[in-house]
Amino acid sequence: MTGSTAVPALGGTQAAILAAYAELIEEVGSDDVSFRLIARRAGIAERTVFRNYPTRVDLLLATARWIEATVFVREESHSIFDIPLAIRDAMQRYDARPELAHVVAEAAMRGVSGAAPSLGRVHLERLLDAEVPSLDAAQRRAVIVALSHLDSAATWVTFHREFGMDRRDIADAAAWAAEAVLDSIRDRVAP
Amino acid sequence: MAESVDTATAILASAAVLLREQTFDDISYRALADEVGISERTIYRQYPTRAHLLAALSDWIEQTCFPLPPFVTVSDFRAAVHERFRAYDASPAYAYVGARASAISPTLDAEPAYITRAIEAMLDVTAPTLNRRDRRRVAASLRYFSSAMFWARLRTGFDLDAGEICDAFDRATDTVLARLPDATTAQP
Repeated sequence: MTGSTAVPALGGTQAAILAAYAELIEEVGSDDVSFRLIARRAGIAERTVFRNYPTRVDLLLATARWIEATVFVREESHSIFDIPLAIRDAMQRYDARPELAHVVAEAAMRGVSGAAPSLGRVHLERLLDAEVPSLDAAQRRAVIVALSHLDSAATWVTFHREFGMDRRDIADAAAWAAEAVLDSIRDRVAP
Repeated sequence: MAESVDTATAILASAAVLLREQTFDDISYRALADEVGISERTIYRQYPTRAHLLAALSDWIEQTCFPLPPFVTVSDFRAAVHERFRAYDASPAYAYVGARASAISPTLDAEPAYITRAIEAMLDVTAPTLNRRDRRRVAASLRYFSSAMFWARLRTGFDLDAGEICDAFDRATDTVLARLPDATTAQP
């Protein structure tokens, strides 16, 4: 679940642009950052930004991918039953960078034109199929989608906004929900 | 200020119309102003940033297109969420606006959504003796699995239709409620 496979190789200029934009998002929010400001921060010409990212949406989605792959990168889990631990860590990382967590969460909610909303799906499927191969299709799907949903920035956003939870409570509640999802398959591991 | 309330609503209604043809990102303030027949400046006064517009548009769409049936019991809650997911499937462009708006950094003092309060009230009735921390874990989980975000992720990331999304929601809800000690829950 490193997410690194989802990120195309970046040139140095592109990485500088995305890093500059991410910095500015944390300073002033994602709405008020002009291409000119990004260019100045990255130390390049404004038209270089446009050449790499013709629209604001292109830039935002690339930045969201970059943030997922660098700032919120996960330690790889070797068992599906370790996923709650990864989720707990991820929530703490989101809490440390709230503006970036919002950007990543929102980019994944734009439908087909947005960021992939299930970065860890392949990894989760591989773990589940290796450890608990006896599930029927609907059971398997239910476990995968629930864990994929919980292992995301949107969890942090929702628990924070709707319930006013702090870092500890969010990490606890998200991991707890993931454990609940795993309860149904706990004793079904292939011998 | 009655006039400005009407203007604000007219802007949202027009944005919703434009949303049938294009994505939210493609709706410019210029085009929106033309559609409503007001100046671009007036729109900026109402919605200083696109985030403000997105949040207000989502609220308006939720009220007009996705009214949540009231629920007290867990089975009514499930039925209400199923109805919502089916409505999302019928108007995906509107549903994505809701999912996006619930993910952005709040523009105003965001009040918890109505469904959050309704879930908390349901748990107060269903599991009155449950301790506060467990109640909040259950409420947060149910809230998150019943959200437009859940629908959006399953539709985009997993290509599921409303029926499959309702099934995944039911199973997730089951796993969460199964964690409650038997004695605390009135059975659905």
